[in-house]
Amino acid sequence: MVGVKMAAAAAASIRERQTVALKRMLNFNVPHVKNNTGEPVWKVLIFDRFGQDIISPLLSVKELRDMGITLHLLLHSDRDPIPDVPAVYFVMPTEENIDRMCQDLRNQLYESYYLNFISAISRSKLEDIANAALAASAVTQVAKVFDQYLNFITLEDDMFVLCNQNKELVSYRAINRPDITDTEMETIMDTIVDSLFCFFVTLGAVPIIRCSRGTAAEMVAVKLDKKLRENLRDARNSLFTGDTLGAGQFSFQRPLLVLVDRNIDLATPLHHTWTYQALVHDVLDFHLNRVNLEESSGVENSPAGARPKRKNKKSYDLTAVDKFWQKHKGSPFPEVAESVQQELESYRAQEDEVKRLKSIMGLEGEDEGAISMLSDNTAKLTSAVSSLPELLEKKRLIDLHTNVATAVLEHIKTRKLDVYFEYEEKIMSKTTLDKSLLDMISDPDAGTPEDKMRLFLIYYISAQQAPSEADLEQYKKALTEAGCNLTPLQYIKQWKAFAKMASAPTSYGNTATKPMGLLSRVMNTGSQFVMEGVKNLVLKQQNLPVTRVLDSLMEMKSNPETDDYRYFDPKMLRGSDSSVPRNKNPFQEAIVFVVGGGNYIEYQNLVDYIKGKQGKHVLYGCSELFNASQFIKQLSLLGQK
Amino acid sequence: MAVDITLLFRASVKTVKTRNKALGVAVGGGSDGARDELFRRSPRPKGDFSSRAREVISHIGKLRDFLLEHRKDYINAYSHIMSDYMRMTDTERDQIDQDAKIFMRTCSEAIQQLRTEAHKEVHSQQVKEHRSAVLDFIEDYLKRVCKIYSEQRAIRVKRVVDKKRLSRLEPDQSSKSTESSSSEKASQNSSEESEEKSTTEENRDKNLTEAQSNFGLWGDGRGEDELSPEEIQVFEQENQRLVGEMNSLFDEVRQIEGKVVEISRLQEIFTEKVLQQETEIDNIHQLVVGATENIKEGNEDIREAIKNNAGFRVWILFFLVMCSFSLLFLDWYDS
Repeated sequence: MVGVKMAAAAAASIRERQTVALKRMLNFNVPHVKNNTGEPVWKVLIFDRFGQDIISPLLSVKELRDMGITLHLLLHSDRDPIPDVPAVYFVMPTEENIDRMCQDLRNQLYESYYLNFISAISRSKLEDIANAALAASAVTQVAKVFDQYLNFITLEDDMFVLCNQNKELVSYRAINRPDITDTEMETIMDTIVDSLFCFFVTLGAVPIIRCSRGTAAEMVAVKLDKKLRENLRDARNSLFTGDTLGAGQFSFQRPLLVLVDRNIDLATPLHHTWTYQALVHDVLDFHLNRVNLEESSGVENSPAGARPKRKNKKSYDLTAVDKFWQKHKGSPFPEVAESVQQELESYRAQEDEVKRLKSIMGLEGEDEGAISMLSDNTAKLTSAVSSLPELLEKKRLIDLHTNVATAVLEHIKTRKLDVYFEYEEKIMSKTTLDKSLLDMISDPDAGTPEDKMRLFLIYYISAQQAPSEADLEQYKKALTEAGCNLTPLQYIKQWKAFAKMASAPTSYGNTATKPMGLLSRVMNTGSQFVMEGVKNLVLKQQNLPVTRVLDSLMEMKSNPETDDYRYFDPKMLRGSDSSVPRNKNPFQEAIVFVVGGGNYIEYQNLVDYIKGKQGKHVLYGCSELFNASQFIKQLSLLGQK
Repeated sequence: MAVDITLLFRASVKTVKTRNKALGVAVGGGSDGARDELFRRSPRPKGDFSSRAREVISHIGKLRDFLLEHRKDYINAYSHIMSDYMRMTDTERDQIDQDAKIFMRTCSEAIQQLRTEAHKEVHSQQVKEHRSAVLDFIEDYLKRVCKIYSEQRAIRVKRVVDKKRLSRLEPDQSSKSTESSSSEKASQNSSEESEEKSTTEENRDKNLTEAQSNFGLWGDGRGEDELSPEEIQVFEQENQRLVGEMNSLFDEVRQIEGKVVEISRLQEIFTEKVLQQETEIDNIHQLVVGATENIKEGNEDIREAIKNNAGFRVWILFFLVMCSFSLLFLDWYDS
């Protein structure tokens, strides 16, 4: 029993672990204990852009304040000397950062320095800092130096991304470029492996790695295996032993790391989607859990770090504290609209309750002998007053989601995204199409040229055999008339030819969408969201290729796709090249990592899949997170060669 | 998990030092380092601000320790177990309250002073932000310590009120009991007296007249007896009624007290909120006053402008009329 509980805790939120690590770092590297009557200590936090990206989804400005941070500044900004204040640095160990830090030491900006490096720093760079500290006679001021091993960004409880600042370096395009050199590939792989290594150090577990053969994923797997093995063998300095691991050590199961390459499934990133979070990512500017809306009123809302000021834009943070978001981020959009309505209703009811109390109290003041009424009302008043902050917070969330959902709805209506969604679902499940593709493409008022391009690419990718030359020419003409850029098509052709040589094209499973017609409950409630003309589509469970791969690997099922996946176990003394797993039991925890980019559709699919399985956990990670338009851009760059 | 490489850093400092010495590079480190560091530290502005801030924090810390130390005695003494070692008298408690209040007042004044001074000397935005954040932290700390104090005091006040209530109830009950006991005694006395009377009467008469008189006298005696039990009953009934009334009054008063305590708590919350809004409302007030001033001035300016415009027009008109008259005059003069 205890073992099982520990195992569940071990797979627990990567977000919590990273937050705990960050808080400990901010507390001068001493575990943080909440002390109500403790004396205040104040400090200054300095980070670079990498650090900023890591911290901003996890800690809000208020939480930073609670930890005693008075100022948070970017490393490369102009900073004034603030005497008598300890400074906590959280930076990547790059050349420029080190130079800037040495400069700070020379200028004696702060009283004491706590240096924390996001990933491990090399010996030579450490000596550079030592040199500068000596030159500035500031060696005693450098109080602590730590390697934090936090080189990844956690967006959700079970989703992480490698990096945000230098995503071009590890993007799909960078990996799949035909003119890539070996050294460049090495650097890219090293970056990815470094982040994955940090991830496993923070998670506190050594995984069993499985990957497909002949892809970028295999290279990553080989390197990661080597790195983990070296670290484990060095028993003195191993990061995976020791009492800081805690629960991770007691779990009987090691997690499974599935490394897949983006090329396994190119249709999903292009797919039009229908769930709330994926829609927001697709349609609006959604970035590191923050969505930017263009509005006529310009109110800006900026937590950690200096963000450039923009006019007429509103940004909202969609965080883990937002209960509505957590509940509905995977629901289909009409459900979301309904729930917002419901929340609004209940909020209004509570507000009326509070207002009614006001009138009762007024009444009660005149009536002399109403002592019994008094007893009731003081209790009610106390509860109303204490629930007021909650009500205000609820109102703010409702406003937020109303605005976001309205913006999304605008896009859906102008681009007719529901039609596209339905159509693509049908294509991907190979059911009969009621409208020919040519009609869809030449339809002038349905969607931007990009949407049409996406639709056509999905059709092309999932067709069993390529359409004939004549058909292709027809399609191309229609597409160019609609204003699309045809370069992605070049690349997809090449990819398809290559993919056909490598393996059979993947199928997308059976799916059926039932349009619920125009007469739905949503419209009858007279909601704010005028959903006429938007079909109320119901999603049926389908498994994307990535989910299917995970399923067969996790449950040890035999599947022609995954049977020849390579198997790595860093804890084994000798590496072997076999594909036969030594462990025959199904895994309880899994981490899916997509090399080359991922998106929220896959994430949602995995979450739905794992919901049906009791006691199992899945974490989803990707080297970068892009939405369809960004992916199309990369494809067109690739196709231009 | 994070890896502490401080030792590695110190080791690399040593290697760099030895390497520099070996290369003969002039470096500020080495044996002069310690002295240099001292030199460098003293001219550094030790920051009045931060040292004063730390002083205030240590004061508040002292207050907190003081309160926590005596907290047990403060609260505990109302237990009925007499431990005369630790008992605090009321005067001592009042003293503690006074001291704590004075302390808190001085601390908050010090914080205010720091706040006004903090912004005077510095020109850098970052330092200003930092200082105001530091002052916020200190104020928050003070608030938390004050909460300890107010909790203690609330408990004490509650106990005083409870005690008063209990002590008030006592004399009522004791007076009732004395009343009933005295009435009982009175009835006892009267019955004894009547017995004595009847025996003496019997001794005096031995005939029928004796019996009759006895009977008569005995009847009289019993009549006296019968009167007092009735009175006793009546008194008892009245007692019962009075007790019932007192009890119900007592219950009502207790309820009202509870409600009043709740109301006072609510009032506290309200005053807190109102005070929070006070500064904002002041701001708004200032802005509004400024705005009305501006509008007044604007109105006057407009009026002047209208006047000037009108005046200007009058002058133009006059000029044109004069021109035309002069033309007419010249014309008349010529012809």
